[in-house]
Amino acid sequence: MAKTNPKLGDAADPLLLGRGSVHGARLKSVLKRDVREWAPVLALAVLWVGFSLADARFADPTNIRTLASQAAVPLILATGLTFIVVQGSIDLSIEGVMAACSLCFALLVRNNRSGFDLGYAAIAASMVLGAGFGAVNGLLVVGLRVPSFMATLGMWSITSGVAMLISAGEPPQIKDMALRTWALGDSFGVPRLTIVAAVFLAVGYVLQTYKRFGRYSYVIGGSEEIARLSGIAVDRFKVLAFAFGALSAGLAAALESARLGLGHVEIGANQMFLTVTAVVIGGTSLIGGSGGVIHSAIGVLILTELSSGMIYVGVSPYMQTAVRGAIILLAVTAATWRLRKRLRVIK
Amino acid sequence: MKQYTTGACAFAVLLAALGADAAVADPLCKKEDIRFVNSMREIAQPYHADLDKGGRLFVQSVGLSDKQYVLQLNQSDSDKQVSLIRAVLATNPGCTVFNVEPNNLPEVRLIVQTANQTGAWVVTHWSHPDGFYPYQGNDHWIAHIGVNSLDAGVSVSKALVKAMGGQGGIVVLDGILENKPAQLRFAGLQKVLAENPNVKLLDRQTANWDRSQAFPIVQAWLSKYRDQIKGIWAANDDMALGAIEALRAQGLAGKIPVVGVDGIPEAIQAVKKGEMVATVSSDAYYQGSIGLAMGYCVLTGQTPLPAKWTKEHRNFNLRLITITADNVDKYLNPPPASAYAGDWACDKLWSRDTGPAD
Repeated sequence: MAKTNPKLGDAADPLLLGRGSVHGARLKSVLKRDVREWAPVLALAVLWVGFSLADARFADPTNIRTLASQAAVPLILATGLTFIVVQGSIDLSIEGVMAACSLCFALLVRNNRSGFDLGYAAIAASMVLGAGFGAVNGLLVVGLRVPSFMATLGMWSITSGVAMLISAGEPPQIKDMALRTWALGDSFGVPRLTIVAAVFLAVGYVLQTYKRFGRYSYVIGGSEEIARLSGIAVDRFKVLAFAFGALSAGLAAALESARLGLGHVEIGANQMFLTVTAVVIGGTSLIGGSGGVIHSAIGVLILTELSSGMIYVGVSPYMQTAVRGAIILLAVTAATWRLRKRLRVIK
Repeated sequence: MKQYTTGACAFAVLLAALGADAAVADPLCKKEDIRFVNSMREIAQPYHADLDKGGRLFVQSVGLSDKQYVLQLNQSDSDKQVSLIRAVLATNPGCTVFNVEPNNLPEVRLIVQTANQTGAWVVTHWSHPDGFYPYQGNDHWIAHIGVNSLDAGVSVSKALVKAMGGQGGIVVLDGILENKPAQLRFAGLQKVLAENPNVKLLDRQTANWDRSQAFPIVQAWLSKYRDQIKGIWAANDDMALGAIEALRAQGLAGKIPVVGVDGIPEAIQAVKKGEMVATVSSDAYYQGSIGLAMGYCVLTGQTPLPAKWTKEHRNFNLRLITITADNVDKYLNPPPASAYAGDWACDKLWSRDTGPAD
């Protein structure tokens, strides 16, 4: 009954079940659904055309490269967050986890404060640390039954605090120039961090489409009770989702730190709001059960285009936050319009 | 006769000796009872970390324990700053000294009122509301030590224009737009631009004092303006350092002059390396400690009560230090406590006074 859209490869929204019972209405609902699925891509194209018309340099290869570079970290974060949101939960601790992982990463590579020099292995260490924080999030949610909103809010503070303690007012500066050059540079004309992000996105797609973890996440998001009654190990997959989400934050933090050259408590500043927005704009509903990593990737591209485009066009900084907020409000309203009558709570 | 003169001389010397040791006023508190509180925005940035270090350095220098030192962080929350101050005044208000970096202007009034009501003592920094002064009967508001952010902006802007040879395009990274220092520093730049018509302001964006936000903005600018950018002006060092990393990604670090404000250690290193042209410091160690020193001197009676100070001594601008390649070597290492002995001495508390603040 659930139709898989071959183009985007994501499971269809199970909430549509039962809508297409009348034949004429079924055709209409299929068309409507496809339009809704394609709306984010449409928005992406419209913005591109709009900004390019406003300033031709926006479409230059140089700017495409800049956009790709700016989208790298948000892509990684959005891929990680997607699974959590698909399950119907939320993770507010991204910024704190990034902060703590950034500090640890900076202290594990060659720096001006500690004696370690782990190089690329430190990126893996950062991911493991992130996964650890995420597992704590998950255990709080499934073990203590704390709503994910509260649990991750608390972890945001805890991890931020850990980061501040480690930083102690003297952010470690990264002295490993090979690593820094790697992070700042290109391979085959594409920014390296973007390549890493693309690979991570691919991993996320494989998880989502071919692994039990991914497929069952949609079921859990659709209805947790049904998932449990079907014998799905809901708790295990929930913990995995939080762990994966925070692992992506650890990876993002390591890469951003390598790029900026220091372990920074504010490295995740604003990322939480932007990541959640990207996921929602892309078409993954906060209620759960729909969307996917490709959706989220498109959401990230839309937001990156928007931010960069506003600088290109010269929108006053006073206005930019307002414009961004208005567009997000529009997008979220449009995305959840048909669900407005149902009272659901983010789990 | 001789004996009488000797006796008189001895008596005079004794009197003089006593006079030198005697306090100028009655001590209000015992040294060990004084509580030193540093109230600031956060501790993640090196500027604030140095404020805290300065405060601790002072407390140690007068032989007191670190337990008498309290650090309060409000994380940019004005209400929190005020409520943290009030909370600690539940005990021992009369012997508590606050050295305050106000999050924003309105709470200066609330903090001063709290001090007046509870008998605590306050020294504020940076800015206060217009027309509101310590010498208007706010006897517990010891002093306000302002920073002439306009002068700070002017001095780094001049250095930037000089490094650009007086012509070319610049891009501007603003601080948080509501903060007065951000507005004043930019006004300083505008003043210098008015005198240098060949320097063009290409674009202006806010990175909210943060280098992670500065990085993508400068990336976008480099993509848009490319060779037109001949200089980057940042309202603080953290953003300047973010800009430098974006330049580094294009192999341009050290090739395009960058300026910032604050004089944090990393920026000083960047000036030494040639990646930054100038920064200006209000001296965070000084700012973090001078308020505590003033409070200490007043409470131990070594300095008269603030009500007896001159107007300028209660509301002055501190001396700024512009750091460029010419003098950077002096500032490469963190200062020892002895460097500030002259500023903390109870009869020299106003040694960095360069004139009345607004």
